[in-house]
Amino acid sequence: MNNFFKTLLDRLLRRRRKVKIGLYGHPNSGKTTLANTICEDWIGKPLGVISDIPHETRTVYKQEEVVIEKDGAKLYFDIIDTPGVATKVDYKNFLKYGLSEREAKERAKEATKGIIEAIKWLDDVTGVLLVMDSAEDPLTQANITIIGNLEARKIPFLIIANKIDLPESSADRISAVFPQHTVVPISALHRENIEQLYMEMVKRFR
Amino acid sequence: MEGLKMDFLSSKALEDKSSIEKVSMIIERVKDGDILVLEGSLTPSEEAELIETTMREIDIENFVGIDIHTLEKDEKSFFGFSKKKTIGLTIIGPANVMKTVKKRSNFLSMIAKIGDSGASVH
Repeated sequence: MNNFFKTLLDRLLRRRRKVKIGLYGHPNSGKTTLANTICEDWIGKPLGVISDIPHETRTVYKQEEVVIEKDGAKLYFDIIDTPGVATKVDYKNFLKYGLSEREAKERAKEATKGIIEAIKWLDDVTGVLLVMDSAEDPLTQANITIIGNLEARKIPFLIIANKIDLPESSADRISAVFPQHTVVPISALHRENIEQLYMEMVKRFR
Repeated sequence: MEGLKMDFLSSKALEDKSSIEKVSMIIERVKDGDILVLEGSLTPSEEAELIETTMREIDIENFVGIDIHTLEKDEKSFFGFSKKKTIGLTIIGPANVMKTVKKRSNFLSMIAKIGDSGASVH
């Protein structure tokens, strides 16, 4: 009987501690690659499909009950992989990736719906990994809008300086632009510094 | 479009408008091809609402979205010990018109595309 109550209490506490972590950022910043790395490490299977063509993720993907364990501390959470946020979607940009005009237009239409869905999810997430391509200029309207909304809603977040494996990458540039926030440099694709990210996640979101 | 139209709006012109009114006014003008220069900035929730509304208004062929840029300025705190950045100007225009933007501290340079020619705005 004691065991029963202990298990019940543990489940209740776990439920209370569980957070919903949204992966936000520009299209092609590596959100789904990171979501896949996290899911492969902790539940043994990837979450979504990745591609070089921007706006590959055009709807929200969710994995429930992910548990990260670091130095004896556990973080229970649902992972929410959101479509990339942008202020413009031009179907002509997809044509250079070999898509037909019909496919490109369809992709653009779906991408606009995905961006609306991503913004709506800001009402539901309790923590955010804001993924930035560290080879690109971080000072964009999409990043500014996401950070502004997270600050206004008091949602804890980490800035992920992704793609540090690229020669032109600079995580320092991101830190210089957002000095008041924690920046974690990683390569989700090559798993560089991933253990450090897990440590920061447990520290920030638990 | 025959030329580039730019509208400059003082913070006074916006202060009595609700968020929905501000966003509707911006989208309406930008869809007409205008570039808007606002004194000050939108709130984070207005920015999010502007992106959402933009996505609803994109019609693939004629309106592909917006570009937003801000010019920040350093402001000293009351006692002058620390500086904080505030947004002095917000520039919003159609994405297919605002082509090149170079940004440095206290300086913003923009090339707007009109047909086959370009207009430079500093």
